Amino acid sequence: MPKVKMPRSTPALDMTPMVDLAFLLVTFFMLTSSFRSPEPVIIDPPSSTTEKQIPKQVFMVIIDKEGRAFVDITNAAVKMKVLKKMLAQFKAPGLTEEEVKEFTGVGPIGLKMGEIKTFMGLETTKRTAYDQRGVPYDTATSKLDKNELYYWAKFTKLEAHNDYKERENEAKLKNLEFDKSNYIQFAIKAAANAKYNVIQDIIEVFREAKVKEFQMITGLESGPES
Amino acid sequence: MAEIQQSGGNDGGKKRAKKQSTRVDMTPLVDLAFLLLTFFVLTSTFSKPKVLRMIFPEKLDQDNPQLKRPEVKDGLTILLTGNNKIYYYTGSLKAETEIIPTDFTKNGLRKILIEKNAPLIKILKDLEIELAKANETDTATVNRIQRESKQAQQESKLVVLLKHDNEATYENVIDVIDEFLITQIAKYFVVEDNLAEMETELLKKLNEQ
Repeated sequence: MPKVKMPRSTPALDMTPMVDLAFLLVTFFMLTSSFRSPEPVIIDPPSSTTEKQIPKQVFMVIIDKEGRAFVDITNAAVKMKVLKKMLAQFKAPGLTEEEVKEFTGVGPIGLKMGEIKTFMGLETTKRTAYDQRGVPYDTATSKLDKNELYYWAKFTKLEAHNDYKERENEAKLKNLEFDKSNYIQFAIKAAANAKYNVIQDIIEVFREAKVKEFQMITGLESGPES
Repeated sequence: MAEIQQSGGNDGGKKRAKKQSTRVDMTPLVDLAFLLLTFFVLTSTFSKPKVLRMIFPEKLDQDNPQLKRPEVKDGLTILLTGNNKIYYYTGSLKAETEIIPTDFTKNGLRKILIEKNAPLIKILKDLEIELAKANETDTATVNRIQRESKQAQQESKLVVLLKHDNEATYENVIDVIDEFLITQIAKYFVVEDNLAEMETELLKKLNEQ
């Protein structure tokens, strides 16, 4: 009987469908994902049953367990304007135009105005190690002029209003439909185990700045928590 | 040089193209694709966080002599203290007021709130049924139902106050407000001040028992 000759060939697999699939998934994740903004603290917010989505544009205050406050504005243009006003108000060392632009991508910060120049001077990798003590706020009304959180809220409210009007006018000029949902709203993201007194103090500061409506961020994010 | 000459010498022979497969090794491509895939899977956040809306009244002038503490005549007052403890009492605060402990479960706080808010819940439910029956194009009816439900909420007699002491956590407050929303309480306030002295005393007495 003749021996059956096995074809001598390397066991090659056709990878094409696999590549197709993999790239399909990559594309899907790239398009659907929104990146977690780098946060100086990890906050575990309480959960609730509401279905309301977070507004597109927010002024976010992050409050951790120790009561440190971090602020962030999702609208880059407004954030730049507010930062400039803040620096002028507290006579802090000014930033260069590039640093101001870079600041919009830094994410939430919990710094005194005086510290921002030093912070922005650091290399990007070293910023995460910087010990952020939180934006100073003192609830005593007599010290309102030193209350940086109050001014963050005040200037943001003002600039948010200006920004809204500007876009409304622009839409009118171009005869486009105006997207009202882009109005900057005030959101609070606080740790579930923070004392309510601390949150209330911060809400008081905002009420001083005539901010009355808050979006309390709740519900756990389903992404893996690093 | 020698090689070139050699190849030149070969020109004379028959030129035969080598039969080579045009297949490209896809493995590195797959590696790369899956690396990217893993990166996006791990860094992306799928569900956006939800928000709970809270509105606070405009700040009153502290020196205003007309400033009155909210007083509830036949409402409900909820007290939050440390260690996730929750108590409530009905009506205005008197020395003989009975403070009752409860909990955050379905059979605790929610049951009490549903009981208290029964009239409003019934009206809203009836309107909802009516709305479901109504024709969508009939804007007059839809508007009327919406107006009526708003009015019912405004006319609701039940006022719920939420008070807390220094130890109460943010989670507790959000939990309670969430319950208010579930049970459709139309009027509730988160009181800024800490517990009144009498409330603290009553709580102490209750815990000693």
